[in-house]
Amino acid sequence: MIPTQWFLILSAILFAIGVCGVLTRKNGITIFMSIELMVNAVNLTFLAYARQFHQLHGLIFVFFVMAIAAAEAAVGLAIFISLFHHRETIDVDEANLMHW
Amino acid sequence: MFEYVVFFFFAAVAVIFALVVILHRNPVVSALSLVVSFFSLSVMYVLLDAPFLAVLQVIVYAGAIMVLFLFVIMLLNLQHMSEPATRPIQQFLGYTTSAAFAIGLVYYVIKYAVFTAMPSGPFHTESSAIGVALFESYVFPFEMVSILLLAAIVGALLLSGRTTVRSEVQP
Amino acid sequence: MPFDPTDIALSVVKIAIVLLALLNVTPIMVWVERRGSALIQDRPGPNRVGPFGLFQSFADALKFILKEDIVPQTANKLLYTIAPAIGLLPALTTIAVVPWGRSFTLHDIHLFGRTFFVQPRLFEPIIANVNVGVLVVFALASLSVYGVTVAGWSSNNKYSLFGGIRASAQMISYELALTLAAVSALLAAGSLRLSDVVWRQTGYFVLFDTIKLPAWNCFSPAMWLSMIVFIVSGFAETNRLPFDFAEAEAELVAGYHTEYSSMKFALFFMGEYMAMATMSTLITTLFLGGWDIPWYNEPATFLGFLLSVIAFEVKVSIVLFIFVWVRWTIPRLKYDILMRLGWKVFLPLAVVNIVLVALFILKGWI
Repeated sequence: MIPTQWFLILSAILFAIGVCGVLTRKNGITIFMSIELMVNAVNLTFLAYARQFHQLHGLIFVFFVMAIAAAEAAVGLAIFISLFHHRETIDVDEANLMHW
Repeated sequence: MFEYVVFFFFAAVAVIFALVVILHRNPVVSALSLVVSFFSLSVMYVLLDAPFLAVLQVIVYAGAIMVLFLFVIMLLNLQHMSEPATRPIQQFLGYTTSAAFAIGLVYYVIKYAVFTAMPSGPFHTESSAIGVALFESYVFPFEMVSILLLAAIVGALLLSGRTTVRSEVQP
Repeated sequence: MPFDPTDIALSVVKIAIVLLALLNVTPIMVWVERRGSALIQDRPGPNRVGPFGLFQSFADALKFILKEDIVPQTANKLLYTIAPAIGLLPALTTIAVVPWGRSFTLHDIHLFGRTFFVQPRLFEPIIANVNVGVLVVFALASLSVYGVTVAGWSSNNKYSLFGGIRASAQMISYELALTLAAVSALLAAGSLRLSDVVWRQTGYFVLFDTIKLPAWNCFSPAMWLSMIVFIVSGFAETNRLPFDFAEAEAELVAGYHTEYSSMKFALFFMGEYMAMATMSTLITTLFLGGWDIPWYNEPATFLGFLLSVIAFEVKVSIVLFIFVWVRWTIPRLKYDILMRLGWKVFLPLAVVNIVLVALFILKGWI
């Protein structure tokens, strides 16, 4: 039986790697992939706690998180496609029309 | 004993391929490494007594969402576009901030996330138990998620259409 | 946890049997495909290498091994090399959850003239009888999209890219219809395990108090729609005609494997036939009664196990022959008609069938 703490540590490391990706990359798709990595780290945390307290609510929450992440990925990629059609680049620094 | 070997191997795979995702310059390789990372996370879910969610993770994340990412990357042909280098100050601040964040988070997890023994008895996570919970306690969010997915489909279709096509259609 | 060496040995034997069977599918299917297509097209087919051309597969294997392996200069070397492996993995692993015989109690093993006495245990001829059974199949089938996509993209060739993108779009569309069509067979069984699905089909439907039909899902009218949807989606998932946009031999040179030669092409080739074999085993398990011998109650002994394995093989062979038959009979569909079929016809039909099966179960007719 693997201690729950180890799963939490793994999830913390993956979350921090996702944060690093969001902060240091300029390619919009890579930033989006780092966000998905963070969401998955959170899923792992939910499941670790669900197993620790033997409650099914953690699993149901992960189920809904997966569904919502799928919807978010679809809409987010559609936004990137339309940004690409207007700017011919996916560099997020170029999306600066609202910059002062 | 066997569980520990599996855990360490797949935890290492997940972390290494997550690092490849954020560090490699070719977005296709990043996307495929993320698929491998999701697959090893799915193995973690099996170790956590949630086999239904493990297969769901592969079907939804690794099998559908990442295919969507790959389609967008391939159709927009993003790999030939060289990504301009991030400014050094931003890179330095980004790496140090996330390293400090990682160290702080792991330290607090080790110090405060100490658990007493688990409740005895088996943890029922069969698909029938999840189905009962979904249709009894969580039926309202379940139905709302279906409407949300419909909204996402309509939104994605509208957002990714070209404006030039619409102006051509009108006489 | 203490490991029982007998269990481990039995698992290794099961894996060896299934792997040998699956690896031998490709040479046999190559011969069946060529002679079958020759039969349908009224020509002799390969008849020079051995009697009836039976050694043609050996000649093909030799050709694949000895051919020069050409790698295009501008291809992405890493992805180009691992794409056939990605395509082969789901084809090899999906069969782990399919039951291929009747389970029986094992008391002693007679091997090499000596008898080993073991604790009486239930020998289940299924490699991984997991709780979520058939979902593992769908999870691995959704991973098979990557082999096609990565192969098409990494070849740096516009025909490969078109073939790869079209094929993967088709595969992910028909995955939905496949999953929903299988759900109706799972509803009748009440469980996600494929072994439970087969046990549910060992029984009889009694019609008019005289005719006893085996209780296979293909004889139950509520499942006919989903059987048709599942079989057609199975064709689309494995990229066989009338859905073979991945290869599209007359249109796109050779689709996603245009730039592949010798052993890498052989891996794609093998992967396609293995996926076809796995889909046939799924069709057999879900709708044709799996290992059940009609009108015969197999005893829970080794003899019953052998007979059920033979029955399973016969059924899978019939479905595989139907795959070959359809390939050389029906022309390829136009791509937009194919996508329209997948989304607008098969998906609603599968959903309607789920409601129908649920109604039948509620009324107790199944």
